[in-house]
Amino acid sequence: MVAVHKRQITNKHRFIGFALIALVVYILSNIVDEWRSFQGATVAVYVVAIASIILLTGYSGQISLGHGALLAVGAYSAAIAQINFKLPLLLCFVVAVIATSLFGALLGAAAARLSGPYLAGTTLALAVGLPSIANQFSILGGEQGISFDVGWPPMSFGAEFTQYKWFFWIATLAALISMWWVQNILRSRYGRTWRAVKTNEVAAELSGINIGRSKVLAFTVSSGIAGLAGALLAMTTNNVSPSVFPLALSFSLATGAVLSGVNTLGGVIIGSVALVAIPEIASLVADRWSGSESVATLLPDLIVSALLILTVFLAPKGPIEKLRSRHSK
Amino acid sequence: MFQFINTLLIGITAGSIYSLMAIAIVLVWRSTRVINFAQGGLALASSFVGAAVLEKTGSFWVSLPIAMIAGAIFSAAIEFFFLRPLLKRSGEKEQEIFLPIIATLGLLGIIKTVLNFIYGDRIGVITPPLSDKGFVISGESIALSPMRLLILGTVVVLMVVLTLIFQRTNLGLSLRASSFAPEISRLAGVRVDLIRTVGWAISGAAGATAGILQTTNGSGSISPESFEFSLLLVFGFVAAVIGGIESLVGAVLGGLTLGIILSIILMYVGGSLVFFAAFLILILVLLLRPQGIIGAKGGRRA
Repeated sequence: MVAVHKRQITNKHRFIGFALIALVVYILSNIVDEWRSFQGATVAVYVVAIASIILLTGYSGQISLGHGALLAVGAYSAAIAQINFKLPLLLCFVVAVIATSLFGALLGAAAARLSGPYLAGTTLALAVGLPSIANQFSILGGEQGISFDVGWPPMSFGAEFTQYKWFFWIATLAALISMWWVQNILRSRYGRTWRAVKTNEVAAELSGINIGRSKVLAFTVSSGIAGLAGALLAMTTNNVSPSVFPLALSFSLATGAVLSGVNTLGGVIIGSVALVAIPEIASLVADRWSGSESVATLLPDLIVSALLILTVFLAPKGPIEKLRSRHSK
Repeated sequence: MFQFINTLLIGITAGSIYSLMAIAIVLVWRSTRVINFAQGGLALASSFVGAAVLEKTGSFWVSLPIAMIAGAIFSAAIEFFFLRPLLKRSGEKEQEIFLPIIATLGLLGIIKTVLNFIYGDRIGVITPPLSDKGFVISGESIALSPMRLLILGTVVVLMVVLTLIFQRTNLGLSLRASSFAPEISRLAGVRVDLIRTVGWAISGAAGATAGILQTTNGSGSISPESFEFSLLLVFGFVAAVIGGIESLVGAVLGGLTLGIILSIILMYVGGSLVFFAAFLILILVLLLRPQGIIGAKGGRRA
């Protein structure tokens, strides 16, 4: 399955692409209103979170239905770093990444021995179990949770610069940096190792790859990114509590990954935008064609679930792969 | 000591319900090699059917069988309309292993939405048919009530019926054969596809029973957004894995073990650790004894 490209896409092209995205977001953030900025920030958070799932599932072949729990670990460690250790903001994000990576390494050591359905069930159990721990330890603040406050935008940006726009900037910057890093690591030795293990474990082992180590590493990297996403999510909600990381979050992230096409990192934007846009589109539709309030609240879930099943049946490799294969025929 | 016995009794009751859920998961796993993550949603939907029947007829004894039939129909329909075409299409390719999981998640979402649409903010009520006041022994009330006895009794009866089906009937033989060696069974004239659907149907009935009993044992009411049923799925899965995920007896033992351990943790350690404890137990079992407590040796499961 060697794809023949007429023109090799190099890192320079990709860098230009990333810079263009940054420019578009910069312009967008200046023309849209508060609410759209908030949505933009949410999309960027989802990009980071879904990228971590795609890395894990699409490239390393491990399933996670419990990424919400990893996001929670990141969010709590960022908040604790800020409240209890008074660290500056940037370091809080770093702490979130490191703490969640360590957690992920532990989890990955167990996960590396589990195959498909077992891993799915185990991560599901984690997503159900982990948030409730917050009630056990007072440092985690129980049901009310603890706050994570990135503060107001710097004064030098001017008085017009709103809080949500600031979220939008931070989240987008974080998303761009992590995506840059992820796409590089996927092209590196490690990324190739993961794909080799995913495609054929026996062949990979025969070529000298340590399968366990490769899987644990993938889990660790994925967790670190998920931790960053968690800290970013906590930034947008201003609060870290069990209710920010319900089971539904884990499910919607998995959904986002499937809608993005779990084997293609580039599709990540599709899933992220879909997760944010579907509720809005659904409420527009419900407003126009039906006055019923219950339809308006239920339509998003229905659309998401239906899309999920449709994707599984019609485009199991994701929309991008689907287009690509149609194109090449 | 007294408290400990009560803890055990509570654990056994809860555990027997987890056993039923574990059986539901095991049956689906044996017939199609899929974990049905919509199992909790199915149990919820069937419990709502049970609640509706209870409201109409007023009889628990009518509503339980009808809920079981409903569960069987829902479950068989899912297998027939979704899983069968999906598995046919993806074939045996290893890479596609996550597709059925995702499909069952999508189904879970649809089941919940439909329930929400029908019931909205209303809840389904399943009042226990018997008293849940504990028996009094030498002046002290123990945790064993007529209702708990009924739960245990129902579970035992179902186990016996299932065992008889599996060990003594042709259907049971076909069920075991087609999960053990589908190709050979097909050559021997077993209609493997049909048998798979039957396996899912029995699983749906077991799940429905688990749902109804869980409701009567708990708050007595159900809502479409019930967290309790997600828990039921997770506990059922953990119980199934403890039992080695292939064996019905194992599922029962796993459920009872899990119920007792969780009940002890709830009583002596702390309520909010129960959910996380289930996860830790699962990890421990998968790492230390992936074949479950029943399987003596057997292949690599994990």
